Amino acid sequence: MRNRRIRALFTIVIIVFAFLGIILPLSDNENDISILKFFPNINLGLDIQGGVLLEYSLDIPEGQDGGTIVDNVITVLRRRMDSAGYTEAIVSEVNSGGERRVRVEIPGISDTQRAEELIGSKGKLYFAEVLEVVESSTVPQITRNRVVTIDGEEIEMYSYVRDSNNPNVWYRVKNIFEFGDDPFQITGLDVSDTVASLNPQGAGFVVNLSFNNEGRRKFELATANLVNQRIAIILDNEAIIAPVVREKISQGRAEISGIENLQEAQNIAVLIKSGNLPVDLIKFQERTLGPTLGRDIVTTIINAGIIGLLIVMIYMIVVYKWMGIVAVIALLYNSLLLMGILSWTGAILTLPGIAGIILTFGTTVDGNIIIYERIKEELRVGRPPLTAVKFGFNKVFSTIFDANLTTILAGLVLFFFTSGSIRGFSVTLIIGVLGAMFTNLVVSRLLLESTSRFLKPEKYVKGIVVEKGGVK
Amino acid sequence: MPNLDFVGKRKLFLYISFALIIFSLIVIFVKGFNFGVDFSGGSEIILSFDKEYTIEELREGMQIIDPNYATARIIETNPGVGSSDKYFYIITVRDSFPSLEEKEKFISGLEEVFSDSNLKVEQFNDVSGYAAREIRSYAWYAVIIALVVLLAYITIRFQFVYGVGAIIALAHDVIITLGFYSLFGIEMNLTAIAAFLTLAGYSLNDTIVIYDRIRENRSKSRGTPIEVITNKSINEVIIRSLNTSITTFIVVFMMFILGGRSIASFAFGLTIGVIIGTYSSLYIASPIIIGFVSRKRKKAKA
Repeated sequence: MRNRRIRALFTIVIIVFAFLGIILPLSDNENDISILKFFPNINLGLDIQGGVLLEYSLDIPEGQDGGTIVDNVITVLRRRMDSAGYTEAIVSEVNSGGERRVRVEIPGISDTQRAEELIGSKGKLYFAEVLEVVESSTVPQITRNRVVTIDGEEIEMYSYVRDSNNPNVWYRVKNIFEFGDDPFQITGLDVSDTVASLNPQGAGFVVNLSFNNEGRRKFELATANLVNQRIAIILDNEAIIAPVVREKISQGRAEISGIENLQEAQNIAVLIKSGNLPVDLIKFQERTLGPTLGRDIVTTIINAGIIGLLIVMIYMIVVYKWMGIVAVIALLYNSLLLMGILSWTGAILTLPGIAGIILTFGTTVDGNIIIYERIKEELRVGRPPLTAVKFGFNKVFSTIFDANLTTILAGLVLFFFTSGSIRGFSVTLIIGVLGAMFTNLVVSRLLLESTSRFLKPEKYVKGIVVEKGGVK
Repeated sequence: MPNLDFVGKRKLFLYISFALIIFSLIVIFVKGFNFGVDFSGGSEIILSFDKEYTIEELREGMQIIDPNYATARIIETNPGVGSSDKYFYIITVRDSFPSLEEKEKFISGLEEVFSDSNLKVEQFNDVSGYAAREIRSYAWYAVIIALVVLLAYITIRFQFVYGVGAIIALAHDVIITLGFYSLFGIEMNLTAIAAFLTLAGYSLNDTIVIYDRIRENRSKSRGTPIEVITNKSINEVIIRSLNTSITTFIVVFMMFILGGRSIASFAFGLTIGVIIGTYSSLYIASPIIIGFVSRKRKKAKA
């Protein structure tokens, strides 16, 4: 009797907990797909809500610290995502057998070209001397050019770059500074920090740049020779801004003024700061799913699952009568529990994850069948219903434990050896199987013990060949 | 309770299984697998149009962009509800698009060729050959490690011979299911691997329920021949095995026929796997340990 009360307590507390996870406003997701709209706290994977996943290997030069480079790449990509408005994007490191890769997941976008342009470009940021400003709707051609090698990199001396704000304005720039003994370039690597702020001396906003030691020396040399001329700050062949040099800057700190709004100043700061990827990114894999297709696929799979489930429920009730009804309740209980846990933990539900949930129903039903067959055996040898239920549950414990633990072990292996959407499968499978064990051993037991008077032994005993002696 | 003779006919079923395994291996070696881009590398593009085209028209259109696309695989598909007013095609090309320019060139080329039918790129999966190699090797690791872990677990909970029996039954299920994948040309991709691991869990689950009964019956009646105990145990749990298999089968079969293409290779594996797994736990996994156990006894006597 006391055990039954403890079971009732657990059953109620856990389902209330699951319910809270489902109904509390824990996240600001808006799931509008099929029945998932009733579970707004569940994070949907890219393969369900649509979006793009890009994964890159890094071309890390030998002898360099991979960890720092990966961190830098992630910081740069994160900033680029934010500055382009993809604030929901997830930038993360994937470590696969010692190989470090970077993964970018952007939910809900359809224009993947832009995302890829943003991420994939090495995005070299550099400073260049402006020779001439040209207005033209087409790309002006360079007539004579020459190539200079700096640090092993071949750079064309002159080029036209477009103004990032005005597509008809072109700057003819000299990409290399030829002051002092050696020609040099000032790149994003020479900039140590960039901050946007309100102009302390007048109207508008400013962007403050600080340079590291190397950059400071180069910048001093460049500005000393270019007073009253313009220096363009160029990213991906577009001039972000081309301020006029007012004086020689030797303190390692420069200020770009005359920017009209804060948004623009911040954009400039972010672009300069995030301009340099330290290494080349090599595309490892790309997965893009349009949002409508994802929705159609998921709806189809969920519908298929629900139809299958309804048939199973009817089957259970036909075969097991009252116990079948208990099985149906157990199924619903376990589904709610699973949805609740997914809501609380913020685990990401993927397409294979939905398959995992549907399989969990199989596990729940299976556990119930194992138990019911035992109870039927106990009823057949003439035990009264309540005793039959109790004996049945006690005897199946180790069976259910062993059988489900093997599934969990397989799920754990899957979890540690895969990534992405398949991992979502192992997560729902593991949570679901654990939930099924709890549901079967605690919830079903509570229900059957308290309703054991509904079990009519004669319904389960008829037509049985009673064993004579033999093995006992 | 049914009283069927599983153990007496075990030789016959071992031959049947043996024949099935040989058949599967031959099919696999002769026909091979239909590897998806996850395993072979390359690009898989799902396009939608407002107009229906024949596969030939699409292929011709692609060859205008680049004659190399003559070898692309093109399949018409239907992703499911809500998409009935559109026509969907899956195009698989051998090579991945290493650069953005090439991808853009391909897509804008298609847009030009099929300019009047509102072409949309619905899905784009690009897996580099290197990624495919890695995914392939990880799939193997996952399968092998899962097997070792499960063998260890069963050895601890039962006996080593039970573990061996379960693993043999499992290998049996996996090989035959692989044979079916090859025979019907079902795509092998990451979800198929998920199906195999689920199948592993399921097959073992089934086997363990019977082993558990055997263990229980053996401790209850010492001295009774293992053949009798095994047969009695199988008969005791067969209703449960059938009911579980039927209910699982209903769910995965519904997923297979109604769930659409993206879940098909997963659901196919489980649909076949449920049948094979149930068969093997009744006719292979338990009868096979009889041989091991009685051999051990003979040794002990000698």
